[in-house]
Amino acid sequence: MAGEVNRRDFLSTLGVSVGATLAASAGAVLPVGVAQAQDKPKGNIPDTPYKIGHMTFFTGPAAVLGEPMFKGQQLAAEEINAAGGLLGRRKIELLKADENAGTDANVKELRRLKLSEKIDFFCGITSSGNTPALGPVAEEVKVLTIFVDGCTDFLWDKAVPNPHYIFRITNMQSADGVTGALAAAMTWPKTKRIAHIHPDYSYGRNAFDHFTIVMKKMLPNAENVSEGWPKLGTTDFSSHITKAIASKPDLLATSVWGGDYVAFYKQALRYGMFDKMKVASMIAFGVAPHAIGKDHPEGIIAGVHSNYHFTYPGGDRWPYNKAFVEKYHKRFNEYPNFQAEGAYTATYMLKSAIEKANKLVGGWPEDDAIITMLEGLMMAGPAGYVYIRPDNHQGYKDAVTGFSKNVAEYPFPILDPARIITIPIRNITAPPGWPKGEPTSTYTWIDKTWPVAKA
Amino acid sequence: MDFFFIHLLNALLSAATLFLIAGGLSLIYGVMRIVNLAHGNIYAFGAYVTAWALGRLVAGTPTPVLYLALPAGAVGAALLGAVLEPTLLRPFYKRAEEYQLLVTFGLLMILGDVMHFVWGPYPLSASALWENSGSLSIAGNPYPNYNLVVIAIGGFAAAFLWAFVYKTRFGIVLRATSQNMRMASALGVNVNRIYVQAFTLGCFMAGLGGAIIVPAQSAVLDMGVDALVLSFIVVVIGGLGSLEGALVGALIVGVVREMGIAWFAEIELAVLYLMAAIVLLVRPAGLFGRAS
Repeated sequence: MAGEVNRRDFLSTLGVSVGATLAASAGAVLPVGVAQAQDKPKGNIPDTPYKIGHMTFFTGPAAVLGEPMFKGQQLAAEEINAAGGLLGRRKIELLKADENAGTDANVKELRRLKLSEKIDFFCGITSSGNTPALGPVAEEVKVLTIFVDGCTDFLWDKAVPNPHYIFRITNMQSADGVTGALAAAMTWPKTKRIAHIHPDYSYGRNAFDHFTIVMKKMLPNAENVSEGWPKLGTTDFSSHITKAIASKPDLLATSVWGGDYVAFYKQALRYGMFDKMKVASMIAFGVAPHAIGKDHPEGIIAGVHSNYHFTYPGGDRWPYNKAFVEKYHKRFNEYPNFQAEGAYTATYMLKSAIEKANKLVGGWPEDDAIITMLEGLMMAGPAGYVYIRPDNHQGYKDAVTGFSKNVAEYPFPILDPARIITIPIRNITAPPGWPKGEPTSTYTWIDKTWPVAKA
Repeated sequence: MDFFFIHLLNALLSAATLFLIAGGLSLIYGVMRIVNLAHGNIYAFGAYVTAWALGRLVAGTPTPVLYLALPAGAVGAALLGAVLEPTLLRPFYKRAEEYQLLVTFGLLMILGDVMHFVWGPYPLSASALWENSGSLSIAGNPYPNYNLVVIAIGGFAAAFLWAFVYKTRFGIVLRATSQNMRMASALGVNVNRIYVQAFTLGCFMAGLGGAIIVPAQSAVLDMGVDALVLSFIVVVIGGLGSLEGALVGALIVGVVREMGIAWFAEIELAVLYLMAAIVLLVRPAGLFGRAS
């Protein structure tokens, strides 16, 4: 579809909204949490523990983002175990593995978990450098898997185009760059010059590509004036910051994450970077919330990996979030990030799929029965509805981002509750059956089907 | 052009820490003929000790007091070196070089795990000094004052080391031992003592490098390995065992890295490796190395 449209009209067609409430609930969507009255499971259920191998970053700068993932699953497992376990009988046993060991070691560890520890289920993974390596191995050793993150489009586009055993819960990575760019185009439509700083690996490249293609459509007069590609895990950004400032941009787009981002914003403050340009980050507030200080600048687009921030949906509007945040805070004395929410919801999706399969076949269901139930499953999680698309085993939920703001209630900045931006996920990711594209299907889909906006 | 000085200062900033790390590495090799692979994590150890020490001070501690606590990491690393050399390294001097590589590599791993055990998995930051120090304006662009402190300390360390090695009696003995250990020993030099002193000094420098950088960048577990790789590029260019080489190598790497980021963003690391490769082809012993 070529041709031009008015940008504001197109943004509203996409359903990009600020301060929106959630759509009303429809049909029998299962919520997270342990129901008070449970149906008695059918048939004989063994009481052997259900072993879950959980791999995420327990060390290194990535741990501030990844480790809450384990806590999310731990919380769900403890709740389920307190109610008797899966199908009332099988207690969940969690085995930890450190993703920081490196991709090769991670692949070996997954094999070991399956072959020696005999895990029933594999979960976790933060880095999109790891899922394309682990996905094919999980298929090969036939271990039921829900990746929490590691959300690269490449996993389904190339590495495992026809998944059977593996699923993934957090939004597809392309949604991140797209969400950041739409939010920036809507907020700062006069942007002409854009500088980029992204970590030099698949996630950063993906964010750059999708931010750029959306800007080509939304702000066709804007151009990329500077690129910086710091190594993932670096804590020295002096040169990248100087380069970005020197290119005199109106806007900086960045997908630096975890401990790297904490070092980045502290250095950028002293270089006066935030005074000289607007900043749109894909994942600034993706870290455990307490990792960011009150010195963080306000009013930047502080992305949450387009997935979830614990303050939204706020108040009593969405009880699943309120209950989750309260329980998580009570258990760990900190607030959850999107990884914690993802792992928590993934565990309950597994539980629901097992229960549904049990109802149909009785006894402890085979993996294939659980997989059939996971395909197409929709659940009301803390973040809102999440839906597993049957064709690519990918979880979809509406994308969220917002603006950093300090409030009295929390000792760290949160997303400004009055200006939360939400986008229906179907409008920013390639539909089922869209041909696999380069660099991603969503990229070619945007390139070919989105109109170019007039100023 | 208005950013020329800022780019230059950034280059000097990375050169300052790189010199401290690579200088220590070179000093140890020059005197003891040991390629100390653990050096990267001795630098990280310095960073952690300083971050820990600064973290122990209550909020609101005046900035001068914070500066007094800064060298804690250098002292900690020096103490660590003084213990490690006689206990772990000395038994291996008579063995083939591969043993020393294995031992120091093992030490690199062990130190990493020790820091993980003591200080936990999360980055340890101590940014009060960085935040309190403010910025000055260079042609209308803010530049962090703290970076100037790091550059100054790097410069002083270079001058001090030069004076120490070339102007003191200890320096003469050190150089004599470096040139011919057996002869120095025959002339009555206590080689064991020189070794432990040289190793301690080398660790002190690495620890100082970690200590001064931590307020700006926070201590993370992988920092040692990254620093080790970069400092090897420095000594490959400058020549292993030469202090002048470490200084010139650090300046070259600092400047090239800055130019790489500014102009060849896509291949910022590759530019450094490429340069090291060219130096190896043209002058295999490095710019200031002695061909043996």
